[in-house]
Amino acid sequence: MRLRCGEELFEVEVREAKGEWEVVVNGQPLRLSLRSAGEGRSIVEHAGQPATLHFAREGGTLHLFWDGVAYRLLEAREDARRPTRHDTGALEAPMPGRVSAVKVAVGQRVTKGEELLIVEAMKMENALRAPRDGVVRAVHAREGEMVAPGRALVEIGDPGDRE
Amino acid sequence: MTPPFRKLLVANRGEIAVRVFRTCRAMGIATVAVYSEADRGARHVREADESVAIGPAEALRSYLSIEAMLRAARETGAEAIHPGYGFLSQSGDFADAVRDAGLVFVGPPGDVHRLMGDKQAARRRMAAGGVPVLPGYDGDAQDDGRLLAEAERIGWPVLLKPARGGGGKGMRVVRRAEDLASALAASRREARAAFGTETLLLERFIERSRHVEVQVVADAHGAVLQLGERECSIQRRHQKIVEETPSPALSPPQRLELCEAGVAAARAASYLGAGTVEFLLAPDGRFYFLEMNTRLQVEHPVTEAVTGLDLVRLQLEVAAGRALPLAQEQVESRGHAIECRLYAEDPDQDDLPSPGRVLHLSEPEGPGIRVDSGLQVGSEVTVHYDPLLSKIVAWGRDRSEAAARMRAALRQTVVLGVVTNLARLRAIVEHPAFAAGELHTGFIEEHLHELRPPACPPALAIAALAATLRLGKNGGGGARRKAPDPWASLGPWRLGGSA
Repeated sequence: MRLRCGEELFEVEVREAKGEWEVVVNGQPLRLSLRSAGEGRSIVEHAGQPATLHFAREGGTLHLFWDGVAYRLLEAREDARRPTRHDTGALEAPMPGRVSAVKVAVGQRVTKGEELLIVEAMKMENALRAPRDGVVRAVHAREGEMVAPGRALVEIGDPGDRE
Repeated sequence: MTPPFRKLLVANRGEIAVRVFRTCRAMGIATVAVYSEADRGARHVREADESVAIGPAEALRSYLSIEAMLRAARETGAEAIHPGYGFLSQSGDFADAVRDAGLVFVGPPGDVHRLMGDKQAARRRMAAGGVPVLPGYDGDAQDDGRLLAEAERIGWPVLLKPARGGGGKGMRVVRRAEDLASALAASRREARAAFGTETLLLERFIERSRHVEVQVVADAHGAVLQLGERECSIQRRHQKIVEETPSPALSPPQRLELCEAGVAAARAASYLGAGTVEFLLAPDGRFYFLEMNTRLQVEHPVTEAVTGLDLVRLQLEVAAGRALPLAQEQVESRGHAIECRLYAEDPDQDDLPSPGRVLHLSEPEGPGIRVDSGLQVGSEVTVHYDPLLSKIVAWGRDRSEAAARMRAALRQTVVLGVVTNLARLRAIVEHPAFAAGELHTGFIEEHLHELRPPACPPALAIAALAATLRLGKNGGGGARRKAPDPWASLGPWRLGGSA
């Protein structure tokens, strides 16, 4: 799997071996044992040292808490910046953030990959792009607004199908 | 004893509303919460007997709307309104409007709020009442020539303060005569924009000073009690984040002198209710009046921890016109208490509020630990309000025990979903200068300026997360469901010893 933290990218491979885990993080191999300690919590042991990991998932964002510090990571899949729910043409916020720019208006034709709006999160600007060619049917976000993950921001329909 | 009121409305939100409701429940007073659209389903709403929607998320049209508060009180038949802190708590107009509506305002009358909201008038009144004020100038003549002469008389460096207003806006330290003119122009501009008047005060600026404040409570029968001091020197951007009592800087005679000055200040202001007199404590041990907060203070729990008193209860009794139930010699202070304010803010990003949804929460517990929180899993932290999440208070028989309990409590605290200042709080209470009690208002800049919690987790945390996610995915059934046995990693040991 690939995880993104700000501009840093982590390539991670996980193998289970004889009740332990062998995990390679950006080329660095680590052996650890692990047990779940209830929802969102696991006890990790590495080199004889136990530690607790807390985590929660929110859309494509993974929140983790380790050694007194909270972090946010994005699961960097090929389509991480693409919207979910392609079929309905609704573009959703993939993470909590502030809409810093809305670049399209209702009725506007867009082509696949075109920037529709910018959501600022984790100190970075994330461009949300059109999942396909079409016409903007609705814009549900205003500049400066805070949005929660999963919130529909822009709807795209087929050219011509004006209701 | 019969409760002082039948029903009370809290014109606030978050942890302070929850805190006031707790005392009301103990006293048999019915409670009313108010909430904006952003706070539908918030913890303070769930913990009240009744709740009233007062408007949109924007504070100006909800928590700052006097009209909306009075309407909510009328609708529910509340007899009294507790303003909490922030929002309308120091608004003289609100205090007057509540009284004019035939209700009880839990706090001093409007005139007292207005007096203390005017730094120039407050400084003059305090000086007249024998309360020490900083060498300074609070006159009406404001031309540059006069202010330069006054600054030379006071001695450099000099602090410029808008006569009205607060929050650090328009305040400026001037170190040399040649910088005064441009600083005056900038401060006047900011003061006019923020407070509508450009009158300035000049005061001697004292480096490495401490911020120490005195808790007072006054009743309508002439009694004024002091409940000891709190040291609030650890601040970021003029906002307190760690407070404690007693102050490690004061000897017993100094403490008594300071607390008596607090009582003198309350008397000079004809105070009523619970209030806090803030003083600047100079490195030479002298102290000077800064301002008076005409409301319950965020950090009041440390005073409660050492005195065993319930400050909200005292507020309610005094507001109902009753006499204070104890005399000064009955106020006892035991041990030491420290408070840490957990904020949803990013110390890495100039302490900007960090909005989001709380996804996971572990609050500390244990002997001597108190948590005042308005938080629950699912709570939304919005950009509309102060991002205080909760207050963690540790009590110990002495300062080192309180500090040790606080360190343990912060290690137990987990918040996921919003960025918090938790790592900074830990760094403060674990710092040797904190352990030594060497506090001053530049503590963070001096000791923790270079403190940057890592932006990204270490490889081991990433590895643990990846393995945990895989473990979860494989949890559906079959042999892989079994969590790795922690004993497996212990090597060649066997239980039972029969190997």
